[in-house]
Amino acid sequence: MKRQPLFRVVKREGGSPARQALAYAAAVALALLAGALLLLAQGVDPVDFYGRMITLGIPGSRYPWRTVENFVKLFVPLLIVSLALSLAFKMRFWNIGGEGQFIMGALCASAAGLKLGESLPRPLTVLVMALCGLAGGGLYGLLAAALKVKWGTNETLFTLMLNYIALYFLQFFAETKGEWNFFLDPESARPRFLKFPEGAQMITLPLGPFQLNLSLIAALALCAAIFIYLKRSKGGYEIAVVGDSPSTARYAGMKVERIIMRTIFLSAALVGLAGAFYVSSAGILSASVTNDVGWTGIVVAWLAKLNTVGIAVTALLITVLQFGCQNASTTYAAIDANFASLIQGIILFAVLAADFFTRFRLAPRSAAVKEVS
Amino acid sequence: MKKKFLALTLALAMAVGLAACGNSGAPSQTPAASSPAASAPAASTPAAQPSGSSDFKVGAIYITSQQDVAGYTFQHHNGITTAMKNLGLDPATQLLIVDNVDDRDDTAVASAIDTLANQGADIIFGISFGYIQSMADKAEDYPDIMFSHGTGYLANDTNFNNYFGRIYQARYLAGIAAGMKTLELGNNNIGYVAAYNLEYAETCSGINAFALGAQSANPDAVVYVSEINTWGDEALERQAAQALIDTYHCCVISQHCDSAQPQLVAAENNVFGCGYNSDMTEQAPSAHLTAAIWHWNVYYETAIQAAMDCQGDASKFVEQMGGNAYYAGLAEGFVDASELNDMAAAPNTREVMDAVRELIQSGEWDVFTGVKLSYNISDDGKVEIIKTDADMFDNQGSMILASGSGNVIDDSAIKGTMDYNVKGVIAG
Repeated sequence: MKRQPLFRVVKREGGSPARQALAYAAAVALALLAGALLLLAQGVDPVDFYGRMITLGIPGSRYPWRTVENFVKLFVPLLIVSLALSLAFKMRFWNIGGEGQFIMGALCASAAGLKLGESLPRPLTVLVMALCGLAGGGLYGLLAAALKVKWGTNETLFTLMLNYIALYFLQFFAETKGEWNFFLDPESARPRFLKFPEGAQMITLPLGPFQLNLSLIAALALCAAIFIYLKRSKGGYEIAVVGDSPSTARYAGMKVERIIMRTIFLSAALVGLAGAFYVSSAGILSASVTNDVGWTGIVVAWLAKLNTVGIAVTALLITVLQFGCQNASTTYAAIDANFASLIQGIILFAVLAADFFTRFRLAPRSAAVKEVS
Repeated sequence: MKKKFLALTLALAMAVGLAACGNSGAPSQTPAASSPAASAPAASTPAAQPSGSSDFKVGAIYITSQQDVAGYTFQHHNGITTAMKNLGLDPATQLLIVDNVDDRDDTAVASAIDTLANQGADIIFGISFGYIQSMADKAEDYPDIMFSHGTGYLANDTNFNNYFGRIYQARYLAGIAAGMKTLELGNNNIGYVAAYNLEYAETCSGINAFALGAQSANPDAVVYVSEINTWGDEALERQAAQALIDTYHCCVISQHCDSAQPQLVAAENNVFGCGYNSDMTEQAPSAHLTAAIWHWNVYYETAIQAAMDCQGDASKFVEQMGGNAYYAGLAEGFVDASELNDMAAAPNTREVMDAVRELIQSGEWDVFTGVKLSYNISDDGKVEIIKTDADMFDNQGSMILASGSGNVIDDSAIKGTMDYNVKGVIAG
């Protein structure tokens, strides 16, 4: 008889939502406790540290509105990318090419911004940049979808590899000086990106000293639109059916190939839009432009179980965690950015573990055998 | 769906709860701290300095971690903390750091500056070239904060300067040690592991100065340059050094890259080497001659003192610094060649280096001029420096600089636009 493994992973039946909530809460509490012990070991007051982390260091700071502005600049791309990826994941299309699509969107938007920013009125330029971002990201994603539909290529590998191509493409523009390379500042001896003209910078609405980044409103509107799209529209329904079973979808008369192409274009285009918003808010293209949202977005989408509202909340919490950690660590000489990443890692790991254990359990060998018999 | 929303709301509620307790903690601390202050003011303000510098805050943006034990960030962090201690400031409470800030992400850099500004930094140092645009923009946004950017070239007339050093002078000295060694060994080939060459004025001026130094001791010395196209990669640095030794039989390996690997490779191959950034004799005692090194604390002490002397008026910073581009060298002690390793160096190297160091420090002569040096060494080790007017040529045979002491290459070229190698430098 074949030897049983020591443990087997068994799916839990009927895990109650209250139980799941409790598990998440316990995981965060445990992670914070572990972090607190590490902080204490370094002579840092954990309550004060966490307080600063969660409030982003705003109380008592000199320019609190700037902190909020910077927070928005990180939150918006993560939110849009997570939403966009969830569209693909719902259809069980493993788009892990968020990084690449983001870069292509950013690159196309930058090209438009640099070329048109001087001549067109600002709202029009920003709009054109957004459209270019959509097109750049969307077409790049479409490449993987088309090949999948045509020849059944593995989209996981394909989108992953496209990330690196995009990354080096961007790096090429970042480091190659030449008359033709309008991305770079011609006056700099060392290669460095040219700042966008005023007209290509994201529109902000002044609320007192605070500048409300228009991309935040766009992102929240997008959130609502996607919610409705997935819940109420035919397209959204098709995504769900194709995700559950392409054969069923086909049987029901759906054009699966077209649905895949359409959905992946939409997903990748929105990632590209996030890239366009990011560079336009920064007012300059950067060689390292993504802030890893292509990866973090995957975590956010899955933590939220691909639920649109859940994604918004999770993206918010993850950004608080990342940005807050940096702010808090600046205050303490003993704490550096690596330690902040460590705390983030502990929290994320604990939450993911809790998620796993609410859905599965480990059955010891003897119990497993009993179950089989 | 509602269920999951509940879970997340709960998480959010918890987060807000924690925030609230963080908030309630802060005010409860403030009265606690201020009430004993009323009864015993001296005890509650132990850091009080007579100069009123106790509330002066230094901000710094680093490219890697402040906990590093070697490398570029380490050198700067060490320089800043040393300078602060010398000035009676406490790095534990008065130094704010945002580290691991990617210099290829302007949003991250701008955000780091905002964080430091928010927490009350009076002066902000950015150590990496790529911070340049954000530093310049933020200097305008925050006229009440002083900005100081290392290795950059942007500045304004009030609160924003840049700083760098004449490291080429130190490299010239190291070149002398290498040249003397080639004379002793009867092998003219020197290898140079370079991050970049002509792409950056910083790297190619370093290579040129090193070659000129080597040629001052041995006119036939040849420098083979191997580019690795990154500022630091231990494996590539190793490979490049080994290739230079295998291909060109180089007997001295110099470097412009982060780690001590080229020196270790030199030691393994029983040849010699000149390091960079720190005295690498420790890593390769049998091979290492001397290294071109920085004393960053020299700049940081000058800058922080000037910043404090502004008495809160940040717009006077550039005036206090005597200009918006700090560019000091051997004379100020900002750069130097590290202690010569007598065990490895050729005889009389120390005497020659000392004589040339003194000459440069006196301001009488500099590396990139129409005058070249050579040396007469008497039997008792007395060094006589011979100055000869000479044209300077690049390695394509075109003249760069006409002979004569009046002809010098501009600082702006050395720092920003130099894009050629002098005669005797060969791309390997």
